[in-house]
Amino acid sequence: MLFEGEALPHLKRLYAAAYRMTGNAADAEDLVQETLLRAYRAFDRYTPGTNCKAWLYTILQRVRTDALRKSGRSPETVELAGDGPPVAGAQHHALQRRDLEQALQSLPEAFRTAVVLRDVEELSYGEIATVLDVPMGTVMSRIHRGRALIRAAFGEKKE
Amino acid sequence: MSDERERVTAYVDGVLSDAERAEVEALLAERPDLREQAEFERVLRARLKELAGPEPRPGLEAQVRAAVGSERRRPRARFLLPVAAVLLLAIWARGLPGFVAFEVARDHAKCFSKSELPAKMWSDDPREVTAWFEEQGTTMPLLPAGAAHASLIGARYCPLGDRFAPHVYYGGRRIRVSIFVLPGPLRFEGHYDGEVRGQNVHFMRSAGMTLAIVSDQREAVDAFAKEFARSVARLEGPGAPSPLTP
Repeated sequence: MLFEGEALPHLKRLYAAAYRMTGNAADAEDLVQETLLRAYRAFDRYTPGTNCKAWLYTILQRVRTDALRKSGRSPETVELAGDGPPVAGAQHHALQRRDLEQALQSLPEAFRTAVVLRDVEELSYGEIATVLDVPMGTVMSRIHRGRALIRAAFGEKKE
Repeated sequence: MSDERERVTAYVDGVLSDAERAEVEALLAERPDLREQAEFERVLRARLKELAGPEPRPGLEAQVRAAVGSERRRPRARFLLPVAAVLLLAIWARGLPGFVAFEVARDHAKCFSKSELPAKMWSDDPREVTAWFEEQGTTMPLLPAGAAHASLIGARYCPLGDRFAPHVYYGGRRIRVSIFVLPGPLRFEGHYDGEVRGQNVHFMRSAGMTLAIVSDQREAVDAFAKEFARSVARLEGPGAPSPLTP
């Protein structure tokens, strides 16, 4: 089946992204299953040969937003004024895997999602803008803020 | 300052135009803090790319496949349910006297409205008409040669919905009568009388068959109904079966 061949190979990456969004396995599984079911229902609108992963992330993001809306919440955002967090000269050799996961998880969801889509899933700014339904400038800002917060976290760790 | 730092992020990600990139490179040459940011972000990107991420439990893919499979079957069921309902309704409706009365009245009017009656066989002899239908594999009731000043003219099979029914024509001066032998079940007790599309329709059972008598004249319908009842009585009476003549 075309759907199984195109979409299901992305299940592991979708799960990882969903886990990073929700922070727990049960919610991540629900999110992935609902995302793939919606993708199946909408598969006639997917254009073969385009970026299936980006298309799936778009649906994942919508499912997540819907779930948060239903529970009366909205994705947490932090609008930082000025230059962002103070940075105390974080060293790149300090970027150990476990600390990195922790730092990523500590980010507000809007920034974390932007950083994950860019740096882990390697989507383009344009694709991220589509997935998150925000302008390109917002994508750039969120990625910058997310990385700056990680850098700040590692700076504090160093101190 | 913030804008500069965002542009450094965009520079690291390689999304700037040539001119913008040149501007950022000039800034980096002057500003150690921005160079440090760029270096951190490059390393961060490389490390994040290596992050495998949490693995799903082994059964998740099978669970998703099953959910997709059941979703695949569901739309068909959703589509089939109304179709099945319509089919059942059609089967149920075609056994309703009102529905069948409408069909026979329409066919009667249609046939007699033509400049030439569309009979496939022409005869005023009931035996010939009966023999013609029997050649096609249809058993007919005892047909009268005529009644109420209407005489036998001919016959054919006419479409009634999804079925074909023997249709026998009788006519006289300003009088037209149709006899249909109805295939399939028809739900009515004893007999049925109705008026549809300006035609009088009478259903009755005769020798195990269901007949429809149609005419715009009530008296003609009643006269033919009596003829059929009489022929059945003759068949079921103590005497020998009557020949096919009235």
